Amino acid sequence: MELLESYLKAVRRYLPRRQRDDIIAELSEELRSQMESRQAELRRPLRDEEQMAVLKQYGDPMVVARRYHQNRRSLSIGWELVGPELFPMYLIILGLNMACALGCTIAIFLYLHQPIEIGTLARVALIQVGVVTLTFTILNLVRRKFPQPWYYPPAELAPMIPIAPWYSISGLSVWALFTLWWTLVPFAPRLLLSSAASSLELAPAWHRFYLPILALLLLGIAQRAVNLVRPRWSGLVPGSRFLINAIALGLQYPLIKSYPYVLVAAGATDKVHAAQVAANFNGLILWGVLSWMWIYHLVSVVIYAWYCAPYVRRLFKRKEARIRFTQEINGVL
Amino acid sequence: MANGTLSHEEVFENLRLELRRGCLTLAVLTQLRTERYGYTLRKALSDDGLEIDEGTLYPLLRRLEGQGLLVSEWREEDKRNKRFYRLSETGKTVLRQLLFEWGRINSSLERILQEA
Repeated sequence: MELLESYLKAVRRYLPRRQRDDIIAELSEELRSQMESRQAELRRPLRDEEQMAVLKQYGDPMVVARRYHQNRRSLSIGWELVGPELFPMYLIILGLNMACALGCTIAIFLYLHQPIEIGTLARVALIQVGVVTLTFTILNLVRRKFPQPWYYPPAELAPMIPIAPWYSISGLSVWALFTLWWTLVPFAPRLLLSSAASSLELAPAWHRFYLPILALLLLGIAQRAVNLVRPRWSGLVPGSRFLINAIALGLQYPLIKSYPYVLVAAGATDKVHAAQVAANFNGLILWGVLSWMWIYHLVSVVIYAWYCAPYVRRLFKRKEARIRFTQEINGVL
Repeated sequence: MANGTLSHEEVFENLRLELRRGCLTLAVLTQLRTERYGYTLRKALSDDGLEIDEGTLYPLLRRLEGQGLLVSEWREEDKRNKRFYRLSETGKTVLRQLLFEWGRINSSLERILQEA
């Protein structure tokens, strides 16, 4: 019943604090009864896949737990943006992002010995609200349109769940488009600079980081393509993403230090105006992207390390079982 | 598309759920005139043709207990601890009132449907 324990642990995480033990005891009893009744039907102990089927039918741990909350708040403006199941997580992520982004922005101001500008802080906060709300709105829409029991399987159960084809395909499409854009930018700066491409050029920093970032993007594509063909290799997701995010996190500091990213081109006709546009681009890249990207990579590294742990544990268990088996065989011989 | 945003199926589904929500409460309270634990309660409802998933039943039981309509206790049965629910005294009174109301609505509806 290791799977059941992992499932209950995942549900417990989202339950109202004061009722946790009581609810888990009851859920445990219900699920055990279901599994036993299935065992009685089959007249044999349930295999892992059959236990998973019972748990899957019970539902996503987050959704199961949310039903016990009396306060079912949501975010809507005429239509639902973030539903009650996702709303508590939305608040946590928004709060964390906001705190990290604002803290980081203030730290950068202090580091550069510049006065803290309220306008910049407000812009950073607005970007966080916009990005997090948009992400959760899309997530909410996908959950409503394509209801399926597991969107975020608990880490302990992830090794048992194959990667859904829609997940690989959608990731592959987005990743491929972004990689294509990244590949072409040095050859066609207009893709980044738009109409300002005639008066601006990419700084040397761009060329220094071009290949390492391209390699990370290609690794992301490879993982999604492999999982499309081999959905059962679910360990590839946390493994590769842990690696990609760890390397990307390592690149953040030299990237930030490489400011500026865009320069005024030698052939620019109105150099004053071009310098202003370049400053806008550089500000956007530094404050709008790089100042919070490291938070994203750091959070991802932690999450994917967490998701890697059950795979590593399973690997060790198998190794131990193999050793025990070999010892037993040697003993018999 | 009905009302500009929801499809006909979505409107039906929302109304069906609304209709079902009240009925489920009534069915659960009625079944709990006899003491049961969650699994047997769900089986009993299902045997009478009213399927209810666990994710709906258990939070509903908690809500009804929180409202003072049910009482529960942990007891051992078949060497396992189980939480048994039954109607409280308030629950019995409220159930009687609800059943009276249900009968009234039902007979009105039947008259309306016959006229239609």
